[in-house]
Order: sequence, then C-alpha cells, then structure tokens
Amino acid sequence: MAWNEPGKNDNDPWKNKGGRDQGPPDLDEFLKDLGNKFGGIFGGKKSGKSGGSNFSSIGAGIIVVIAVVVWAVSGFYTIKEAQRGVVLQFGEFNGMVEPGIHWQPTFIENVIPVDVQTTRDLARRGDMLTQDENLVLVEMQVQYRIVNAREYLFSVTNADQSLEQAFDSAIRYVVGHSKMDEVLTSGREQVRQSVWAELEKVIESYKLGIIIADVNFKDARPPEQVKDAFDDAIAAKEDEERFVLEAQGYALSEEPKARGIAKAIEQEAIAYKEQIVLDAEGQVAKFEKLLPEYQAAPEVTRQRLYLSTMENVYSNTSKVMVDVDGGNNMMYIPLDKIMQNQSKAVQQNSRDLTPVKQSSTETSPNSTVNSTTGRTDRYGRGGN
Amino acid sequence: MKNFSIIILVVLGLLTISSVFVINEGERGIVFQFSKIKRDSDGEMRIYEPGLHFKIPMIERIKKIDARIQTLDGAAARFVTAEKKDVLVDSYVKWKIVDFSTFYVRTAGGDINNARALLTQKVNNGLRTEFGRRTIQQIVSGDRDSLMEEAMISAQSSKADLGIEVVDVRVKRINLPTEVSDSIFKRMRADRHAVAKEHRSQGMEKAQVIEATVNAKVTVMKATAKKNAFTIRGEGDALAAKVYADAYSKDAEFFGFVRSLEAYENSFNSKSDVLIVKPDSDFFHYLKDVKSK
Repeated sequence: MAWNEPGKNDNDPWKNKGGRDQGPPDLDEFLKDLGNKFGGIFGGKKSGKSGGSNFSSIGAGIIVVIAVVVWAVSGFYTIKEAQRGVVLQFGEFNGMVEPGIHWQPTFIENVIPVDVQTTRDLARRGDMLTQDENLVLVEMQVQYRIVNAREYLFSVTNADQSLEQAFDSAIRYVVGHSKMDEVLTSGREQVRQSVWAELEKVIESYKLGIIIADVNFKDARPPEQVKDAFDDAIAAKEDEERFVLEAQGYALSEEPKARGIAKAIEQEAIAYKEQIVLDAEGQVAKFEKLLPEYQAAPEVTRQRLYLSTMENVYSNTSKVMVDVDGGNNMMYIPLDKIMQNQSKAVQQNSRDLTPVKQSSTETSPNSTVNSTTGRTDRYGRGGN
Repeated sequence: MKNFSIIILVVLGLLTISSVFVINEGERGIVFQFSKIKRDSDGEMRIYEPGLHFKIPMIERIKKIDARIQTLDGAAARFVTAEKKDVLVDSYVKWKIVDFSTFYVRTAGGDINNARALLTQKVNNGLRTEFGRRTIQQIVSGDRDSLMEEAMISAQSSKADLGIEVVDVRVKRINLPTEVSDSIFKRMRADRHAVAKEHRSQGMEKAQVIEATVNAKVTVMKATAKKNAFTIRGEGDALAAKVYADAYSKDAEFFGFVRSLEAYENSFNSKSDVLIVKPDSDFFHYLKDVKSK
C-alpha cells in the first residue's frame, strides 16, 4: 500500500482528530503539551537565531519534518470490500470503519480488519450415541459469518474455536435425544433444525459476534463395525421388493397363458361342434342322395354296395379260407407265419394308413388357436 | 543550550513513555504501588478499563488481566457411572474473570494456568458427582441439560473463591469403553438381522399371496373354459344327432345296412387283420357255385 501523495504531506493529524472529538481529555492535554514543547523547542530555535547554529537547526528541522511526513504517510490504510475495520484508540474500542481508504494516527490508533462478508464453514464428525443406545457416525457442517467484529475479537479468546466446541456439544446433544432411524433416514431435517436451534442457544451467552447462516447434515452412517449388518438389512428390503416383483412377473405371464389355453379349449369345442354337425350333414347328404336310388332299385343297389364293400375289406386284409363243415378241432392254421409274412407289408403301410374318419372324441393335439383375441388390460387383473 | 534541550527532550520522552500505559480491548489492568494493589478511597481496587492511562513511573507497576470469556477444554476425563462403568467424557468450560482483585489474590498473582487448574478440579468434581448418580443411558439422552446445570452450580462456588464466573459447562463427547461399545454393536447387529429377516419373509409372504391368487384365477379360468367347451361339444353332438335322426328315420333299415358296410370297411382295413372265412357267405356264393341262388 504505497500511498504517497506529496500534496498531502502537510496533512495535520491533529486537525483530523479535532473533527472527530473522540480522544479522552487527558490525551488531548498530553498532546497539547507535547505540541507546546515541540513548538517551544522550534520556536526557541527560531527566535534565538544565531548564525552559527543555523545549519544544525535546519538539519534538525528537516529531520523532524521527514519524521512527521513518514508518520503521516504510515497512517494510510485500506479496508477491503468484504471487511470492516475495528478501530482501537490506545487499545480502547473506538468505532468501526467501512471499506475504503482511511487514515489513522500511528501509535495512537490501530485498526484490525475483520472479514464480515465471507461465509466460513466448519465441519465436525464423530461416532455418537443415540437415544436408543445405538452408535451412529454423524458429520455436520455449520456455515457462519461474523456480524459483530468487536464481539468476535474481544468477547472470547477464540471465537472460531468456541463455535466449534459449541457445535460439537449441540450435535451430540441432539443426536443423543433422537432415535437412530431418525438420524439415519427419516428425521434428518428435524435433526438439522434442532442442531441449529441448540447451537444458537449455546453460543448466545458467549457473544461470539457470529451469525449462523446454515447448518448442513452432510452424512449419517452406521459405524464401520456394524456396516455389513446394515447393508444386509437394506439388501433385505430390496429382496422384499424383488420377491414381490418376481411374483407379479409370474402372475403377469401366467394369466395371459391361461387365457390363451382357455380360449384354445373353447375354440376346439366350437370347432368340434362345427365339425360334428358338418360331418353329420355330410353323411346325411350322402345318404339322402343314395336313398332315392335305393328306393328305385333296392335289390340291385344293396347287392352292389355289399359287393364293393366286401371287395375292399378282403383286398385289404389277410384271409384264411376254411372250407370245412362243422368245425374240426384238429385244424391248425399257422397264424404266426401269416403275421410274419405280413409284418413287412404292415411296416410299410401302417404309417400312412390314416383313419377314414376322425374318431369323435379325439381332439387333434396340434390344432391351432386363433390367438389374435384382443388382450385385456394387463393391470386390470383380479376382481372377476 | 542545544545539547541540554536535547537531553531534556530525551528525558521527557522516557518519562512520558514510562508514565503512560495502554489497556487493550478485552483486558483489564490493575496497578501496584510498591507491589501493593492500588485502591480507591473506599478501599476498592482500581480496575483500569481499555484505553490510555497514566501511572507514576518507577513506583507503579501494571498487571494486565484477560477479561474475555476463556475456554477450559482439557483432555477427556474418565468417570464412573451409576452402573459402575467407565466413560470417557470430553467437556469444556467457558469462564471469565469477573472479580479481578479476588482473582489476583487467589491465583498466585493472576496466573491463568493456576486458575485453570483450580477450575478444572472444581468442574470435574461436579461432573464426577453427577455422572456417579446416572446411568449411561441417562447421561447420553436423558438429561444432559441438568447434568450441565449441576456441574455449573458446583462450579459457581468458584465465583466467591476465585473471582471467576462460569458461563457454561458442556459435555462435548462421551466415549464408551470398548466392552460397552462392543455390546452395543452386537445388539445393533442383532437388531438389523431381525429387520432383514422380517423384510425377506414379508417379501415372500407377498409373493406367495400374489402367486396363489393368480394360480387360483388360472385354475378357475381353465375350468370355466372346459365347462363352456363341454357345453358347446354337447350342443354339437345334439345337433348332429338330430340331423342324423331326421334323415335316417326315412329308411332305418337301409341306413343300418349302409352304416354296417361302412363299419366293416373301417374295421378290417389292414393286413394284420386275419379273417378266417368260410366260403358259404354271400360274397363267396359264386366261388362255389356258378348257378344263381
């Protein structure tokens, strides 16, 4: 802060002081005294001007002037924007100064700049006992500003440390009066507010000149020694949800499947109904077409039908003709031989032998189901 | 003349310097005349407030005493609780000197360290008594306030003794001995395990309810579908029967004949069927006899 303006060198500090009118009377008198004495000395020199002592008196004068100038210049100081200055006159509090450039009479006043804008913070952590006798690891932070620089400097030996101690005490007091679950989860805001209130209550009597801007709850954890058990409990909560979700997943997959099966069963029944009726109608149509012909020539038609049927029957089966009357007990028919001979033929043919007509009660296993039935709303389950 | 004036000046300067003293903000001063405390006319000790003061050089001496609130924050002390357990308690005391003369006299010439030692003893005595009456539970969460009150009250006697006022006594932290905290940890563990088990079984419960509900629903759904299916099949059978009956009743005998033929054809249709036939059926009629029947 090299503030050196020659024009101001003759700036008389006392004049400045006179305007302020703040010095204690004894001081003023002392200063006047001093002034008089100096004046006397200089005056003496000036009045008792003898040619020989001219140079030395001038030298002395110059030294004095330089001393005064140096003293005057050394009195300039600035207070930064965020600061306020606490003015002490001979150690006694003598007002505050605002940011900017100021002048003080060195040796008489001194100014202690104090930052009153910056928000400072202070964090404390530690294991603490809760009301339900659990230990929790809590970390909190307090943010504060200095509002009263005089109190901050002079009412306690160390304001910041005092705040720290009070904060320690307040956190533990509040945690000691809360349940563990509150501290760890639900009641954090409540704890934060209580700590704030408690802290303000504690520091009230200390007159720290500090205002609490905010109290933050940074962390609350169970202690390391029991962390795994806590983690397991949290995992269990997740498991609980997982079980439920899995069950819901099962439900959501089973229900549509069942709906599909139900639909298939119904469709098969409908198909069966159609089929059997159509079958009947077909059979009947065939019969009814045949009937007039038969009625026209019954004998011939019967004969013809009978023969063609028997022809089919005998041509498709193995036959043994026995032209013996009265059935002989001793007759031997090598049936097994016949079967063996037939087996090759059977193997070839049996696969592609399909029944002429489907048996009435059998439902084909691979009947397709019309699955484009409109899905009901997934979530509107239950209730029916 | 000039030398003389310079000497006078220097002497005057020295005198001035040694005859003024400054008491800073946050301090108070007391003055000794020949090591005896200077008093007012009514016998009260003179306390010098912050500012500039005069004294008689060489004769009067100054002692400055801190008037700010001070802190006593010693190491954690071991106390025994009502259940005969040791706890480590870290507390602090805020105090300030209010009666400077008493303070000076009782603390071996205003020695702060001396004052601290005396105060520590007093406060610790108070705390010891209070802790001895309480369980850990009570100390932690019951009535820490009243604990502090009590400790303060017992420390208040220091006002008359030492000229010190106790502003506040607070417990900062209470540390439990290892065996106590171990048992706490064990209990916390057990507690968490119980919670974990509860959550898991609740989850299973909910899951089973959901599954059972849906299973029941599915069963009913299928059964209903079957019921409907049988009804529909029955309708089909009935319709078919009616169709058959309507047609075949026109000539039942012929129907029987036609249907039988169909049946024969369907029954004997593979080579593994072995028919043992006599040649006297209608079919073989001409096989034996060329004449007409």
